[in-house]
Amino acid sequence: MNAFSAGSGGPLSLPAISRRALLRGSLAGAGLLALSACRSAADSSPGADAASGGAASPRRGGVLTVGVGVDFTPALLFAQSANSLLQRLVFNTLTRYDEQLRPQPELAKSWEVAPDGLSVTLKLREDVTFHSGRKFTADDVVFAVKNLQNPVRSAQLRSTALTVTDFRKNGDFELTLVLAHPVSNLFDLFEFMIVPDSESVEDAVAGTKLIGTGPFTFTERKPGSSLSFARNEKYWNPGRPYLDGVEIKVIPQAETLLSSVKTGQTHLTYAVRGKDVATLKDDKRFRITQYDTGAGAFYIGANLSFPEVQDKRVRQAIAWAIDRDRLVQQALGGYATVSSVPWPKSSPAYREEDAKRYHHDPEKAKALLKEAGVTSLSLPLAHQSDAGSTAVAQILQYDLKQVGIEVQLQPVDSPTMQKQLISQSMPALWTLSHSFSQAHPATLAVSAYPFNEAKNTSKFSSPAYTEAVQRAWNRSDADSPEAKALYQQVTDILLDEQFIVDLAIAGLVEVAGAQVRGVTLNKYSYLNLDDAYLAG
Amino acid sequence: MTTLSLPSSAPLLRPRNRYVAGLLTWRGVTGLVLVGVVALAGLLAPWLTDADPDAQGAQALAGPSGAHPLGTDDIGRDLLSRILHGILTDLSIILTAVPAGALIGAALALLAATSRAADLVVQRLFDLVLSFPGLILGLAVTAILGPGRWPVVIIIALAEVPYFGRQLRAGVLVQREREYALAARVGGAGRARVLLRHVLPNAVDPLIVQGAVALSVGVFIEGALSFLGLGVRPPQPTLGSLISGSVAYLDTDPLLAAAPLAVTTALVLGFTLLAEALNRGARS
Amino acid sequence: MRTFLFKRLPSGLAVLVAASFTVFLMLRLIPGDPATTLAGPDASPATVAAIRERLGLDAPLLSQYLHWLGQVLTGDLGPSYAIGGQVSELIGDGLAATFQLTLAALLLVVVLAVPTALYAASGRRRPLAGALRALTTGALAVPPFVTGVLLVLVFAVGLGLLPAGGHASLFDAPDLAVQYLALPALCLALPSAAILARYLQDGLERALGEDYVRNATALGVSRRRILWRHALPNALPSAVTVLGLQIGQLIAGAVVVERIFAWPGLGQLIEQGVSRRDYPVVQDLLLLVVAGYVAVQLLTDLLYSWLDPRVRWE
Repeated sequence: MNAFSAGSGGPLSLPAISRRALLRGSLAGAGLLALSACRSAADSSPGADAASGGAASPRRGGVLTVGVGVDFTPALLFAQSANSLLQRLVFNTLTRYDEQLRPQPELAKSWEVAPDGLSVTLKLREDVTFHSGRKFTADDVVFAVKNLQNPVRSAQLRSTALTVTDFRKNGDFELTLVLAHPVSNLFDLFEFMIVPDSESVEDAVAGTKLIGTGPFTFTERKPGSSLSFARNEKYWNPGRPYLDGVEIKVIPQAETLLSSVKTGQTHLTYAVRGKDVATLKDDKRFRITQYDTGAGAFYIGANLSFPEVQDKRVRQAIAWAIDRDRLVQQALGGYATVSSVPWPKSSPAYREEDAKRYHHDPEKAKALLKEAGVTSLSLPLAHQSDAGSTAVAQILQYDLKQVGIEVQLQPVDSPTMQKQLISQSMPALWTLSHSFSQAHPATLAVSAYPFNEAKNTSKFSSPAYTEAVQRAWNRSDADSPEAKALYQQVTDILLDEQFIVDLAIAGLVEVAGAQVRGVTLNKYSYLNLDDAYLAG
Repeated sequence: MTTLSLPSSAPLLRPRNRYVAGLLTWRGVTGLVLVGVVALAGLLAPWLTDADPDAQGAQALAGPSGAHPLGTDDIGRDLLSRILHGILTDLSIILTAVPAGALIGAALALLAATSRAADLVVQRLFDLVLSFPGLILGLAVTAILGPGRWPVVIIIALAEVPYFGRQLRAGVLVQREREYALAARVGGAGRARVLLRHVLPNAVDPLIVQGAVALSVGVFIEGALSFLGLGVRPPQPTLGSLISGSVAYLDTDPLLAAAPLAVTTALVLGFTLLAEALNRGARS
Repeated sequence: MRTFLFKRLPSGLAVLVAASFTVFLMLRLIPGDPATTLAGPDASPATVAAIRERLGLDAPLLSQYLHWLGQVLTGDLGPSYAIGGQVSELIGDGLAATFQLTLAALLLVVVLAVPTALYAASGRRRPLAGALRALTTGALAVPPFVTGVLLVLVFAVGLGLLPAGGHASLFDAPDLAVQYLALPALCLALPSAAILARYLQDGLERALGEDYVRNATALGVSRRRILWRHALPNALPSAVTVLGLQIGQLIAGAVVVERIFAWPGLGQLIEQGVSRRDYPVVQDLLLLVVAGYVAVQLLTDLLYSWLDPRVRWE
C-alpha cells in the first residue's frame, strides 16, 4: 500500500467533484430538452393539413387515435369481448339497427322474412370487394354463418346461427336462409355477424391478417401496443371514409389513458372510468356521449348449489339490502342507471316499474331473512381484483353486513373469474357485469351465460323460465304485443327468482376530443367510423 | 492485503454497548422517534379515533372536517382511521416477514459456507428465486394459498431470503480469508467453530443495513401487491392498499395519497436512520 | 477464468432445468385456464372442449412438458394462445423495448447514485446531504406506481413537455423514442438508484473508517484522493453486487412501470400472458428471464472476483 505515501491531492476540494457531476447531469438534461425541441411526441396534431371546410362539411384526412385499455384478442374476433372496436372498421355486417332497433341495410340491400318465420331471403350489394380484391358474393354470407356455428369461434349468437339449417342461393347476390324454427333475434345475428374473407379466416383468428369489406384495411399490429388501419380506397360506401387512417392504442393504466386524452394524444376512447368522466364533462375540449348498449350491467350472482342461497327469499333480501344509488355514485362516478332488471331503456322488455322494483330497504331485507328462518349468514363473494371491481365488492359487503349477512371477499383475477363463471364453479355469491341485454330480449336468455335457460352459472333451472324463454325466442314477431307479454314473463321470473340480482347498467361512455365528429357504435359496441372526421 | 491494519478482533467496547451508543446519536434518536411515533399511532389506533375503519357512508371524497379529520375515501370511509389501522397491519406483516427472511437467508448462507457443493446449490437456489419476476411469485403464492395476510408475509420473506443470504455469504467469503480467521484455523480450531465464533460475528454487520432496507422494501412489496390486486384481503386497510387506491384520485383529491405516503415515508426514513445508527455504532 | 466458467456453466444449466419445471408447474397451479379464457364470457362446454383439444391441453401433463422442452430446444416456440402471433416474435419485440428501457434506467441509476453517494461520503454536515437523504428515502418510500402517475401528471398533463405514454422505436425515430423513454426510465430508476446510493455511501464510509485510511490521512493524503483511489475501489465490489441484484429488480419493476407508461416490453407481455393464461408466452418468457438472470449473475461474479482479489474461487 505504498500509494498512500505521496500526498498529491492538489487544491481541488471535494465539492468541486459533485459540482462537476451536477453540471454533467444538467448537460444531459439539456440535451434531452434540446432533442425534444426539434420534434415533440407530446404534441397532438389533428392530422393532415387539408383546409377546413367549415363546421358543416366533413373534412377529409387525418388519423384518428383511439385509446383502449385492453388489447384485442384475435381468437375472440367473432365473439363480443373486451375490445370489439375494430370489427366494424375492417368488416361489415349484413344489417345494422337504428335507435328503434329497426334493421337498416349494410351488405344486405333488402330482406324478406317468410310469413311462417321459417326462412329469410336476403338481397346483397353487388359492388362490394374484399380488401384482397376478391368480389363479395352470397357464398361469403354462407361462410360467415357457418363460421359462427363453429364452437371454436365462441360467438355468443351461435345458438341463433345454429337455427340456420340450409342455404338456398339464387344467383351470386340473393340468398335464402332456411331456419329450423322462427327466431325473434334473427336481426341481432345480422347486427352481430361480421363477414370475413373465407380464405384468410385462420390468419384472422391468429391475428396476422384481417381481411374484410370494411372502410379500413388492417395494416399493422404491435401486440400489447397498437393496431393500425388505413383507408380502404375501394370502399362501397361512396366518398367514405373521410379519415386517412385509424390507430388503436393500448393504454392499460386508466390514469395514463385519461392523461393521454387530456393531452390530446388520444382522440377517442370508451375506457375512461365514470368518476373520471365526471371531471371532464364541463370541459369544452371534450364531448361525452352515453350509449345505451346494455353492456356493463353490474349484478350479484348466486350459486344455487349452496344451500344458504337456495331460498329465494334470501336472494330477494340481498336485492333489497343494496344501496344501488350509492353504488352508482361512489363506484361508477354517477355514470350508470340504477336497475333491478338486465334491460336498458331502449329494450322492448324495459318497463320503469320493473327497473325500480328493488331499492334500498334494509328493514325489508331483514324481514325476509327472518321469514326464511335465517339467523346468521356468512357467505363468500368472488369479485375481480382490479380497483374498480374491488370498490364495488366492498360496497356490497358493507351493505349486506347491515342486514346481517357477513361476506368474505374473494378477489380473483379475470381468467380465474372466467373459468369459475363458465364452469359453474362460483362460490355462493359473486359480482360481475354482463352484456347482451341491448338488442332483442331473447338473445340474453339464449346467449348470455348467466341467464342461459339451459345451463347457467347459478345452476338455476325452472320449467317456467325455460318455457317463457323458448316461446319468446321461437317466434318471428319480435315486437308484437304477444312477444312483449312473453318478455314480461321472463322479466317477472328474473325479478322473483333473483338468481341474478341486477344492480345498475353502465352502458358505454364515449369521450371524444371536440374535433372528433360522426362517430357511432352499433348495438354490439362495434365502432363505426364511416362518417367520422376530424374537424379542423 | 493491508500491512498497516491490525487484525480487528479485539473491539474496545462489548458489541451490545456499541449498538446502544450508536442508537444514542442524532440518527438513532431521530430514527427511534420516527418509527416509535408511527408504531404508537398504529397501536393506539382504537383510542386515537373512534371511527370504524370499515364503516362506509354517503359522504365520499369529503375534505377534512370535524368528524373526519383527514376526510373520507372514495366509498365514504374515514381516512384517518384507515391509516392508523393500516399501520398496524403493515407493521405486523413486515415484522414477521423480514426476520423470517433474514433467518432463512442466514441459515442458507451458513450452510453454503460448509462445503463447495452446498455453496453451489444454495447459490443457484438464490438465483432461481431472484430471477422470478415478483408478479409471478405473487400470483403463484396467492393463487395457491388464496389472498390474505399470510401470502403477503410469505412473498416478502421469500423475496428477502436471497438478499440476506447473498450478503452474508459475501461477508463470510471475505472474512474467512482474513488474518484472524486464518490464524484461528492454523491454531487448530474446527471449521464450524471458526465459522460461527470468528467469521460470522464479523460478517453480520452488513445484514443490519440489509435488515432496515428490507423493512422498507417490505412496505414497498406490500404496496406493489396491493396495486396488482394480490394484497391483503379487502376491506382490511394497509398502507399499500391505501396508496394504490389513491392513485386514481391523485389529481382531484391529493390528500388521499399524501396522508398515507407521509406515514410510509416517515416509517421508511425511520428504519433507514436506525440502520445507519446501528451500523455506525458497530463500526466505531 | 476459463476454469471458473467451466465450473459455473453446468450449475447454470441446472438452474434452467429447475426453472423450466417450476415455471411449467406453477402456471398450471394458478387457477383459471387458457381454454376458458379463450372461449370468452358466454361459452358453452362444447366450445371450451374444442379449444382445449386444439391447444393440446387435453394431453397428459408430462407429454405437454416434453413437447414444450422440445420446442425450446429446437428453437421453434410456436404460436401464442391468446395474444396472437408467434411467441418468438412477441418476445423479440418485447425484449427490444425492455432492453432500451432497462438500459436507460440502469444508466440513470448509476448517474444518480454514484455522485450522490460520493457527495454524501465526501464530508460531514453538508447542507445538501440532508436534502439528498430525504430524496433517496422518498424514492424508496413512494412506490413507482405513484411516482409514475405523478410524473405523467406533471410532465405530460401539466407542462405538456413529454408524452403521457407510448413507445417509438429508437431506430426509426430516435428523437421521439427518447421522449417516450424519459419518464418510464426515470420512474424505474429512482428506487434502485436510492438503494445503490445507500449501499455505496455505506461502503465508502466503511472504507474511510478503516485503519489504513486513518493512517493515510495521518500521513497527509488528501481526502479526495483517499475517496477516489482507496475508498471507492474498496466499496465497489459490494456495490456491483447490489447493482447486479438491481438489474433483476429493474426487470421486475418493469411490470408496473411498463403498464403505467404503456411501454410494450416484456413486463407488459408477461402481464398480458398471465392475465390471459397464455402458457407458451409466459413459459418461454420466464425461462428467458431466468436464463438472462443466470448470465448476469455469472458476469457479476466474474466482475466481483476480478475487482476484489480477496475473493477466491478455490
